Amino acid sequence: MAILFDIQRFCIHDGPGVRTTLFFKGCPLRCQWCQNPESQNPKPEIAFYQEKCVGCFECLEACPHEAIVSLPDRRIDRGKCDACGLCAEVCTQDALRLVGKDWDAESLVEEIAADRDFFLDSGGGLTLSGGEPLLQGDFLLEFLSLAKSEGIHTNLETCGMAGYEVLSSLTSLLDLVYFDLKLMDSQEHAKYTGASNARILSNFSLLAGEFPAVQARMPVIPGVNDSAENIFQTAAFLRHNNKNSIHLLPYHNLGQSKLTRLDAGAEPFYIRDIPEDYLIRAREAFEKEDVHAIVYE
Amino acid sequence: MPLSTNEKQARSVSPRLSLVKKKDRVTRLKEAVQAATPGICTERALLWTEYFKDKANRTKHVYVQMAEALAHSQNNRSIAIHPGELIVGNYTSRRVGGLMFPELHGLVVMQDLFKFPTRETNPLEISRLNQVRLLSIAPFWATRMLAVKTCDSWLDAFSLVLNQLMGNYYIINEAAGISHIAPDYETLCRLGTDGIKAQASKLQKQSLMDADKWYFYESVKIAAEGLAAFGERYAQLAAEMGENELDEGRAAELKAVAEVCSRVPRKGAKTFREALQCCFFAQIAINNESLDNSVCPGRMDHYLYPYYEKDLKTGLLTREEAKELVGAFSVKMSEIVPVFSKYITRTHGGFFNGQIVNVGGTDKNGEDSTNELTMIFLEVMDELRMRQPNYTARVHKNSPKEYLDKVYGILSKGANSPSIYNDEVIVPVLKQNGVKIGDARNYTPVGCVEPVAQGVSFSSTDAALFNTAIILELALNQGRRLGRFAQIGAKTKPASQMTCIEDVQEAFEIQMFHGINRLLKDLQAIEIANAEHHPTPLSSMLLDGCLENGACSTRGGTRYNFSGIQCVGLVDVGDSLAAIKQAVFEDKKLSMEELVGHLKNNLSDDRWRHYLLNMPKFGNDDPFADIWTAYALDVFKAALDGKTSTRGGKYTVGVYSVTLHEYWGTVVSALPNGRRNGESLSNGMSPSNGQDRKGPTAVLNSMNRIDYSKTDNGVNFNIKFDANTVGSPAGCIAMKSIFSTYFKRGGMQAQINVLDPKVLIEARDNPEAYPHLLVRVSGYSAYFNDLTPAMKEEMIRRTSMGL
Ligand code: SF4
Ligand code: SF4
Repeated sequence: MAILFDIQRFCIHDGPGVRTTLFFKGCPLRCQWCQNPESQNPKPEIAFYQEKCVGCFECLEACPHEAIVSLPDRRIDRGKCDACGLCAEVCTQDALRLVGKDWDAESLVEEIAADRDFFLDSGGGLTLSGGEPLLQGDFLLEFLSLAKSEGIHTNLETCGMAGYEVLSSLTSLLDLVYFDLKLMDSQEHAKYTGASNARILSNFSLLAGEFPAVQARMPVIPGVNDSAENIFQTAAFLRHNNKNSIHLLPYHNLGQSKLTRLDAGAEPFYIRDIPEDYLIRAREAFEKEDVHAIVYE
Repeated sequence: MPLSTNEKQARSVSPRLSLVKKKDRVTRLKEAVQAATPGICTERALLWTEYFKDKANRTKHVYVQMAEALAHSQNNRSIAIHPGELIVGNYTSRRVGGLMFPELHGLVVMQDLFKFPTRETNPLEISRLNQVRLLSIAPFWATRMLAVKTCDSWLDAFSLVLNQLMGNYYIINEAAGISHIAPDYETLCRLGTDGIKAQASKLQKQSLMDADKWYFYESVKIAAEGLAAFGERYAQLAAEMGENELDEGRAAELKAVAEVCSRVPRKGAKTFREALQCCFFAQIAINNESLDNSVCPGRMDHYLYPYYEKDLKTGLLTREEAKELVGAFSVKMSEIVPVFSKYITRTHGGFFNGQIVNVGGTDKNGEDSTNELTMIFLEVMDELRMRQPNYTARVHKNSPKEYLDKVYGILSKGANSPSIYNDEVIVPVLKQNGVKIGDARNYTPVGCVEPVAQGVSFSSTDAALFNTAIILELALNQGRRLGRFAQIGAKTKPASQMTCIEDVQEAFEIQMFHGINRLLKDLQAIEIANAEHHPTPLSSMLLDGCLENGACSTRGGTRYNFSGIQCVGLVDVGDSLAAIKQAVFEDKKLSMEELVGHLKNNLSDDRWRHYLLNMPKFGNDDPFADIWTAYALDVFKAALDGKTSTRGGKYTVGVYSVTLHEYWGTVVSALPNGRRNGESLSNGMSPSNGQDRKGPTAVLNSMNRIDYSKTDNGVNFNIKFDANTVGSPAGCIAMKSIFSTYFKRGGMQAQINVLDPKVLIEARDNPEAYPHLLVRVSGYSAYFNDLTPAMKEEMIRRTSMGL
């Protein structure tokens, strides 16, 4: 069994062709700019959409644990809630939603295979994303074996924070790995993501040595990792590992609106003035270092 | 081959023509048309009346009356040639205008006579004087309009037409005339009206013993001569204007116009330009003959290509010049608007005449027929983005990549046109209906989405629209509307006695057959009225079979005859049956009686509404839900199967709703799918609003569970994408890929909207800022501002897919 917080079909930015992207729940990092805060906690949780709530308190009656509170911006007492989901079922406004669903490997493959015709025509497939899929490595082994036997193209999007043996055990079942490189300076990395990048970088090097289809990616966070210094170091690291390209992902503030829904308690991260050309400048900086940079829209 | 005088003339004019302000001609024409205030033209109505007021005319054979009345009005109404025009001709006396048909539905439309200029949706300019003039002819037609011929009194007739055009159970469009044809412009361009007239004369001589036939040929001769004379009026006008024109360049252009119009439509067209002009004159005249709706030039890239090719070869024309001519033609088609009253607009929104131009497809042998002209039409369509014509594109398994790239490329950039039709499904469907393979391969969509073999079929594709959702309402309440007492439908089991889903199905089937039979009874009365009192000789002479058979298309003269009946609210019924099965008979959450109780209360209890909305829904790749939509379609089809129209044709099944899903949404009670009264029904074959929650691939999987050999009158499947998703090159490729899969697996049609919902909200709040924002509504293009407020809301509300 694995826990996912979303399955999205017709994704076109997570690898070649038309893809179904699986969002695994749970992540070892705590990036301040996280766009999917609901991905961090490896357990199911209830999200509260304050703007949708009409204050009927059907949820209050439904909750077996007296975990419903009536604060204006909060509906759930996280200490008492065990995420049974009953409140979400009765909320007629979809203001409460259970985030996180358990899947067994077989049902998940079946769910994905529904779009096989589209994968075939477009050269697409499935993408493991999250959160960090590698946290659920045992499941992936079973799941990817099934998916491969169905002939489905597989891509892993990872932050790289895992034991290398997990990653290594999956390479024969993966067609592609999108590997995030966020910051080269270890202290900066720890400051913004809650962990040092030592293991990430070593995993990247090891993987690049044995698995050719690794694609580096960088979420470009203005003012955080788009400095000339960081780009220079990233480029050097890539060249050192015989890699000569990187995908640059844009930043937007949308993820922050999700924080309050989960009472995640994290400091809101908000970039007030996103420079218009930050991606282009980052690309140019990479190109100058002989690293081909592809900008995602 | 030596050049004819005309070709020499055209040759000598063309080079200069290309120097004179040529660059923006089409843009300037477009701007002039868009700047013109739409209004009502009364000339046709008054001239038609003048003709029939003459007692001598009223004693003539009805065929002759129709042909003469049309010729009389066409050749006495005002005409104009506007600055910069290369293709000339006016549908009406206005730059942008609508026609009145007092003998058909005109009197009913006149209920809004004094409101036209000031009403909120689609205002139409009309002067005081013209209002009074129209009013003055009303008494004459009150006893003579078509519907009177099926009723005892004019009051009955008036309410009949009104009911037929805005009924709650069904709407019979044939009450306002038939049209919905793709005329044989290929033959017209080849033979000219003189050629057709000669055929008619010959056949007439062989039919001295049969008065009806004899008069039919007589009427064709009159119609042909009338059309020829109409073109010659423009020749004369252009010559006069040319003489008085001070600008030398324009004077030369007018001279060329005069040359062209002095040849076509009387003689066969010799050049591409003549062919286009010929088609446009016929287009105008047919719109003036009967209902001005869905007269479709059809496969222009196909039948005009030989002219294009020849002109290019002989050096008479360049690609650029051809494109300019196509642009000029295309703009002209936006010069007509329908004249509907507010009530009729509720059911036929979007201000639209349904003139389809189709590109792509195959020739009669099944070989791909795309060519350079196909590309030109696509470019013009993309660059103009006007309300008319309604552009469609055919695809098949061998459609060239270049063509497909262009079609999807245009769509991904938000053109919302063309809609796409799959030959691999449609050609076999037509064949199964008895259309010969060569004719089937020459099909074009007509009106909204209906496939019709061009030039050989009288398919009356929009004969009637049927409210299938209200049939379910009746089935749940013993044949009565919920909360009402009158017995409308058949008497069926009360909900309290329905103990299994089969009981519900049985009631639904009985009500469906009962409702369809009622519809057909009314429809056939109107079919006969049209045949006897409003034949259409001009249209008929351009539909193969009529000449040979000596009979009008309204009397079954055409090679193929059909009548299209539309199933509206299909998906709501399918989803409702799925919800009943799941909630009542599987989960046993409530009884049938309780369910009907909630529906009577319009699902006022939010908890139940929410519960029902969360039942399985069509469009989510869930076979449990999808089979019920397929089932409802089967029942609809079964009710029509084996029935024959008075023209001897089959009743075909269409699944599109124009804008009726919106209006009938205000009529039909709450339904078990969680939809409340007042909320729109599903649009054609598309999933219910907002109920497709798994993205476009899931929708396509559901769509592919439908057997389109059963929808022989076409389906409308609207799918909306967010511009951010598919606007990029990768997004465009992905979009193209999923549709090619959908079509490969047997999808019939798709109408792809790429819209930024924000744009629509802005357009709603600030109409001035977006006067010409083009959107697709149910199989046709319309300007957003032309939609009713409710339709605008629907456009905004519909799920933005793909994110
Ligand atoms: S049930 Fe939903 S809408 Fe009602 S109070 Fe609870 S969260 Fe708000
Ligand atoms: S998820 Fe369960 S425990 Fe938590 S608030 Fe909702 S009903 Fe109560």
